[in-house]
Amino acid sequence: MNQEVFLAMPVFLISAFAVLIVVLDAVSGKNKTINFAFGIFSLLATAGAAIYTLTLQVPKLVNPADYHDIFTITKNTMVFSSYSAYFDILFSLAGILTMLASRSFISKGYHEYKEYYSIIILAVAGMVYISHANNLLMLFIGIELMSIMFYILSGYFRQRIESVESALKYFLLGSFASGFLLYGMALVYGATSSLELNVIAQFIAKNNFNATYLTFGIALLLIGLSFKIAAFPFHQWAPDVYQGAPTTVTAFMSTAGKAAAIFSFIIIAKALMPSFTNNAMRLVSTETMQMILAVLSAATMLIGNITAISQKNIKRMLAYSSVAHAGYMLMGVVANNQLGYDGIIFYATSYLFMQIGAFIVLSVLENKDSSNINLDNFTGLRKSNPYLAALMAIFMFSLAGLPPFAGFFGKYYLFLAAIQSGYTWLTIVAVISSVISVYFYIGLIVYMFFKDSDNPIAKAELKLSSVSLFVCLIGVLLFGFFPSLLMNLYAIIK
Amino acid sequence: MALYDVIFYLFATIVLVSAGGVVFSRKMMYSAFSLLFTFFGVSGLYVLLSADFIAVTQIMVYVGGILVLIIFGVMLTTKITGVDIKSGTLGAFQMGIAGLASLAIAVFMIIMSMNTQWMQKDPLAETSTTVEAIGGLLFTEYLLAFGVAAILLLVAFIGAALIARRK
Repeated sequence: MNQEVFLAMPVFLISAFAVLIVVLDAVSGKNKTINFAFGIFSLLATAGAAIYTLTLQVPKLVNPADYHDIFTITKNTMVFSSYSAYFDILFSLAGILTMLASRSFISKGYHEYKEYYSIIILAVAGMVYISHANNLLMLFIGIELMSIMFYILSGYFRQRIESVESALKYFLLGSFASGFLLYGMALVYGATSSLELNVIAQFIAKNNFNATYLTFGIALLLIGLSFKIAAFPFHQWAPDVYQGAPTTVTAFMSTAGKAAAIFSFIIIAKALMPSFTNNAMRLVSTETMQMILAVLSAATMLIGNITAISQKNIKRMLAYSSVAHAGYMLMGVVANNQLGYDGIIFYATSYLFMQIGAFIVLSVLENKDSSNINLDNFTGLRKSNPYLAALMAIFMFSLAGLPPFAGFFGKYYLFLAAIQSGYTWLTIVAVISSVISVYFYIGLIVYMFFKDSDNPIAKAELKLSSVSLFVCLIGVLLFGFFPSLLMNLYAIIK
Repeated sequence: MALYDVIFYLFATIVLVSAGGVVFSRKMMYSAFSLLFTFFGVSGLYVLLSADFIAVTQIMVYVGGILVLIIFGVMLTTKITGVDIKSGTLGAFQMGIAGLASLAIAVFMIIMSMNTQWMQKDPLAETSTTVEAIGGLLFTEYLLAFGVAAILLLVAFIGAALIARRK
């Protein structure tokens, strides 16, 4: 059989399972375990198929200009590179970790509807389309599929006013941002007369980038995508949405959702800023584009970390810190070299483990109406929940970027990539903002370990969440102690 | 002036005047009805660009679906809450900022349209319908995107049902 069929397998599998699980909702009656198990199985199968494609001769592509006409079966609308296969694994993994932790959490906070699981599968399907898109239409539909699932999930606790508020805010602002995205795509299509990223990239490289409305289209595209990753001027929605949404959903949105949005940022930026230098003929050069992104990235991490300092609610604090982490990941796009893109992969992986881990600890500790996740409530956690406190401390150290945890090496590769491409000032800003972030990450640890309280949070029941937490812990430690494991794995894949 | 130009300016005037009505009328209901004329005028412009399919879709989706939804939304929520929904609640300062930003974008767009080499085509040349071409492309080149869009519509239904279901 054609090898391409195997390469396309993750996309086909997740699409088929996404439709099947909806049908299963209708026929499974009152049995929720079947849906849960089927959801886990479909994500495992997708991840398995993606791992299998990595063992085949997959091209290691990140620049859309190189795609040209290698993939015939999907009419050049999709690309099957090792990058996209690797991101498929990440998305499936995030989905599995979230589903395991959600089982007891959503019945504690509200009620367990089986649609919850199908919506997570569908969101993963949207992300998989994003990571394989070679066509602006496909990219947009993927982003919309993912976003609409997030709107629904964030309003899942619908009897709770914060949850409804978060869903409504996210929906209104998100649709507005989608409008920008679509307008930008339309203008880019008008200027280059193609929807396919590789054709667009070649067109721009050949025709000197000199149409005003192409520049305008690119600006609109960048605005829309900046909203989706919550980068600086468009980050205001993130804290409100992340705080109001159910905690496990926040874990999912702020990791897998952000990784998918960053991926779309990478391919768009790669396609629209081919490597050429300043020239009077060209309205925008690679350098200007890099400079704009660098300023965006610097502002994002500073604002995110500085605002996080004053937060009393831990969920809100992590939301602001996730804004800052988007800023770090943008550094890889700014650097625009191989190390930068590998660094984004490493960072996305480690960020997935530590952020999901931190949110799952919150989700098992919080009470029925999530009113006890302020810093004060966490005083003396070491006495009532010693293991959870230790886990939280490890995730916090990793988020702060201290060795020997995975977060440190993620930052290390990105900083190195930025220095290699001449953005030393950006690295200095990143280091400063990391230092700022240490204050509130360690602050939480101080509250948990070095303060005592009369009524600490009661001992939490872990149930299936313990599996997720274990996987997150293994991830943070493994890639922290042996970072070369992931980097070598990635080098072998080539 | 040719007849074509007369029709173009007629539709353009309808769009501009009614769009102004949408923004400047204080009552939400008047805005909604002005919006009707805006959509109608835009679809007329599409016809002039020989994009007949998009023109018909514009009328069916926006006038037939979305506008009716807006009007029902305004009528029903006024009944329930007893509050007249009005536009123009912004302060003068915000209005000034928003006006300046819009003006800047408008000026930029005008400059942009002046110095762009647009594709010139004889508007009166005989053209066949675009429906056939769109249908052909949807089921060959963009079949995959078409299928995924179908999934998107399906899940929008599921999501709406999940949010609106009875406890």
